[in-house]
Amino acid sequence: MRVADSDRVALADMLLGRGLGLDLGAATIRIRSDVPDLEGLLQTLYGSYRVEDGLELFDVTVKLRRAGGLRRLFRPQVELLVDAAIEFEPFPLDTPVPLLEWGVNYALASRLCCYLLLHSGVVERHGRTVLLPAMPGSGKSTLTAALALRGFRLLSDEFGVVRLSDSQLLPMLRPIALKNESIDVIARFAPQAVIGPRCHKTHKGTVAHLAPQLAHVDACHETAAPALIIFPRHDPSIALEMEPVPRARAFARLAVNSFNYEILGPDGFDALGKVVQASTCYQLRYRDLDRAVEAITELLDRAVQH
Amino acid sequence: MQLTKSDLPAHARLLLECLAEPRRSRSLRESEWDILIRSARSARLLGVLSARISRSTPAGALPERVGRQLLAGTIEARFRRQKAMYLLRAIESQLCIEGATPVLLKGAAYIVQGLAMADGRLPADVDVMVPRLALGAVERALLDAGWEFENTDPYDQHYYRAWSHELPPMKCAGQALELDLHHGILPPLGRLKPNTDALFAATIPVEGTPFRVLSPPDQVLHAAAHLFQDSDCTGRLRDLVDIDGLVRCFAERDASFWEILEKRARLHQLGRPLWYALTFGCDWLATPVPVGFLKSDRRAEPPVLTRWLVKTLVPLSLFPVAPDSAGSAKYGIACRLMEARAFWLRMPPWLVLFHSINKFFRGFRRKPVV
Repeated sequence: MRVADSDRVALADMLLGRGLGLDLGAATIRIRSDVPDLEGLLQTLYGSYRVEDGLELFDVTVKLRRAGGLRRLFRPQVELLVDAAIEFEPFPLDTPVPLLEWGVNYALASRLCCYLLLHSGVVERHGRTVLLPAMPGSGKSTLTAALALRGFRLLSDEFGVVRLSDSQLLPMLRPIALKNESIDVIARFAPQAVIGPRCHKTHKGTVAHLAPQLAHVDACHETAAPALIIFPRHDPSIALEMEPVPRARAFARLAVNSFNYEILGPDGFDALGKVVQASTCYQLRYRDLDRAVEAITELLDRAVQH
Repeated sequence: MQLTKSDLPAHARLLLECLAEPRRSRSLRESEWDILIRSARSARLLGVLSARISRSTPAGALPERVGRQLLAGTIEARFRRQKAMYLLRAIESQLCIEGATPVLLKGAAYIVQGLAMADGRLPADVDVMVPRLALGAVERALLDAGWEFENTDPYDQHYYRAWSHELPPMKCAGQALELDLHHGILPPLGRLKPNTDALFAATIPVEGTPFRVLSPPDQVLHAAAHLFQDSDCTGRLRDLVDIDGLVRCFAERDASFWEILEKRARLHQLGRPLWYALTFGCDWLATPVPVGFLKSDRRAEPPVLTRWLVKTLVPLSLFPVAPDSAGSAKYGIACRLMEARAFWLRMPPWLVLFHSINKFFRGFRRKPVV
């Protein structure tokens, strides 16, 4: 049973009770909530996921809870518990999704040191992946979303999950957080895209989430080999520029930006070394999304032929 | 009053059982693994649990989703351990000054001695004790080497220096862990006064390093004093697990361990915290305490009322809150009472009053905007 096909009342009961279990690929999460109408939002964003009612062990368990106190009478808020602990400032009650998404990301990033977690978008074609590591605001999410909407399989928008035993990339499939202008950019780029409601005035501005596609959800246990690493930067002054990056520099940039490279010690060094060794690396500056997608497709096809 | 595991909440019982008998984990259902792993993580014991399970169960025998979470615990512990070793290496030269005889305490000491009970522990900081007379020189050497106090509030600095057995925590760029510089193991104005000279006199050198560690019985007494005399016990199950691990290891190595432990407990006036540690250890972790040991020192046994109070409050505050609850009112009250108890034991009444009033009024002052 998919989340979208579930009975809404039953889903709301599940959120209040044992929780909604979701399989993201590299990790499983369980969401509980007493926030009104959250089930509707989850049906939009996680609609293609199966309701994992057979699972009882999860990597992350979170609960969205209406905050108590007098404030709820004039400015109601929602707080997020990871297990039994509150680790974040509350959000306004009408925008629970960004809190949920960031909170789950934070918990995954800090807990899953059984994998090397690169801060990177990941998409795949013909079994080979493109890693799109970048600093926040550089257009990583926009480009990842665009590729996922043009024939690439989305593995993750946030986490380059590297398995330590063989340096294969694992999906950690979650909705893509689009920020500010990129919401409209993606809506224009792919009118069929399912985008959740806009949440204004978050600490990253306006945020809306792009729902993962059914085929990508169903492939969330299919790993893929590293092939291409592209450091994107949106730059209105340049139509398209693809510049090779030496592997050593790519290694350093990925390591510095990783969530847990330092914690993994020698295992992280070896795993990242294999990823970079198997990849060709470029710095991409682009203005036009269509041309960037074309260029990446071409590069990957060339890398696969080699 | 015998307090058995059956009086504890289910998650605490499960955690204790699997720590004491890791083979128990082989028969766990998925829902029990879920409770166990989350409770262990919240108690900062996931690495320890993982180390113990891996000794009796090959990694391949565990379900994949269990194995990866335990592996994460192991990897994080390995990282913290590495960072502790790195810190020790970095401060060697600052501590090797005339008359300093640096003594490692707690986590760092367990690591350098290569004790199996240190496997999977998550050291939060590194504790080093030097004689009071050398404290100023060592502090200056560390400050010159780039260490600095995180908290520069004048009152807090004064509090530590006048009434505590350690300086405020120090940090240093490039170091993941904090450094606590001690000159004793309990606050100098507290109820119990361990014999600091005797502690130093019995220390043992650690081969290949300039550091020393406390004698085995003193290590146990320090851990017990730290838990039951100097802390509020809240969420400190890991300290009890440490004591259990130390006792098992030292008693096996040295047949006269218990005899010396009893003598040292009297010498340091630490019979009472030791009594609590071993009593709870026996009840919950099957700590192998010889028959009659707990009765050997009449003065160590707490009076009936105190015993009842501690045996009521500790089970409520020592364990992590159940992973699916948000902490009950009872838990909150128990923690507050244990906090009050810790202050009562740590300092004389006039200082408790002075300190509380000071903290109360300082609470109103706005924090500076950076």
